Amino acid sequence: MEVYRYQQFPSHLATVHVALFDNVTNADELHARLIRASTLTGSEGETEREAVNFAFIDARLIASIQHLKAAVYHAILAATQGGLKTKSVHSEIIWTLNPTNNITEALRRYGVSASSSSLFVVRVDRPLDGLVERLSTIVHGTLVPLDSLKDMTNWDTIKKHYKLNDEPAIRNAAGDKDVERRKIDRIVTSSVATKIVMG
Amino acid sequence: MSATQILLSQATQISQGAEAAIYKGRLSDSGLDEEDVLLKYRFHKGYRHPTLDASLTKARVAGEARALLKCLRADVNVPAVRMVDALEGVLGIEWINGKSVRFLLGGGAEDEEVTEEMADGENLPEDATEELEDQLLEYNVSSDEVMTMIGTEIAKMHLADVIHGDLTTSNMMLRLPSPSPSNKTELVLIDFGLAYISTLVEDKAVDLYVLERAFSSTHPASEPLFAGVLKAYEIRMGKEWKAISRRLDDVRLRGRKRSMVG
Ligand SMILES: Nc1ncnc2c1ncn2[C@@H]1O[C@H](COP(=O)(O)OP(=O)(O)OP(=O)(O)O)[C@@H](O)[C@H]1O
Ligand SMILES: [Mg+2]
Repeated sequence: MEVYRYQQFPSHLATVHVALFDNVTNADELHARLIRASTLTGSEGETEREAVNFAFIDARLIASIQHLKAAVYHAILAATQGGLKTKSVHSEIIWTLNPTNNITEALRRYGVSASSSSLFVVRVDRPLDGLVERLSTIVHGTLVPLDSLKDMTNWDTIKKHYKLNDEPAIRNAAGDKDVERRKIDRIVTSSVATKIVMG
Repeated sequence: MSATQILLSQATQISQGAEAAIYKGRLSDSGLDEEDVLLKYRFHKGYRHPTLDASLTKARVAGEARALLKCLRADVNVPAVRMVDALEGVLGIEWINGKSVRFLLGGGAEDEEVTEEMADGENLPEDATEELEDQLLEYNVSSDEVMTMIGTEIAKMHLADVIHGDLTTSNMMLRLPSPSPSNKTELVLIDFGLAYISTLVEDKAVDLYVLERAFSSTHPASEPLFAGVLKAYEIRMGKEWKAISRRLDDVRLRGRKRSMVG
């Protein structure tokens, strides 16, 4: 797990915890649990929502840690400006990752789904202790270093979602995988940072 | 103070123009992989009505970010976008490790135009080409290669119908070779504050003319250099070149007439 500090944000939004899990075996249960948590009422609902108060993100659609951090940054920024388009800073991260404005589509693509096997778990908060232990009861999988992402990314799906196949940046890479991936990463990271003004 | 104002207060200011202040900073203060960003702050203009000022600022920041994104897709070398806060008027972009072409051409500091006598006169400070070659050693490229890179990047940009709006040698940088994003020297176009989208031959020709004027006013004996820019531009533009070339001649003529009258 990595922890990033942002002094410019208010303290309850200034610490970003990022964990990456591989070989996740309970993605379908987790997905169902998130849906149930959002519909439960009363104190039971509140407790359950707090228990799963994270952004669960399918790692296949993340090009780099920079890419993920750009989405986190702009979600927090929106929160500080009263500009959240979704219910929480965590759902806002997922909304920010998707090139369109459709939150249902964003959740379907970037959130946890039954087919997820590698997951980022992000928590924006004050510095928290014991998060890894807590997460290990929620996500059944192997906690891995963030740079394990390089074997998880599905570049073809990213290209499809961002409609990059016909762009000169991709065509000019002429099949050189390293060059192509670097360019895709620059484009999607910049797109995430620019999303709020894309209209 | 807003988050972005705090971010600016923790960054280092590196210049102050009429429209924007430029800072070097970092979005997060932790993590060894955290990279530098350039923060361009379009501050409040006291002489403008606050509401109008806010919406103009927002439009300018948004416009610059969108132009950069369009260029990235079009494979034009430009800084990646790192942060956009249109409300506060701040654009954060990838820090380019290198120097402006203006500096490398021996064009001196910003805003220090070469006077007419210097540009036309016999006692030129130094041959521009030689000066450039010295400066370029560190970059491992020749001046001809730099001119080719300039022409090629502008052509890729125009093929995507992005008009820069302020092409000068200060608005292009040579990026030092580094392992990423590639291991060779790159020419990077910057400052898309006046950029817009247009398919018109006229707009592309004027874009080139502005650069031609910038070359001749900042860099003595620049004709051969600029010819190299146009040559590379022509090659990259392919069949689009003819119409733009013809229009560039018109624009030059108009420019000369204007300066004879004025
Ligand atoms: N991405 C970058 N990385 C490093 N330095 C940069 C970058 N972008 C700009 N600079 C430096 O900052 C200067 C000002 O940037 P820019 O031209 O974008 O701002 P500006 O306010 O429009 O300035 P000006 O009015 O002087 O043109 C540039 O001339 C260049 O030296
Ligand atoms: Mg400039």
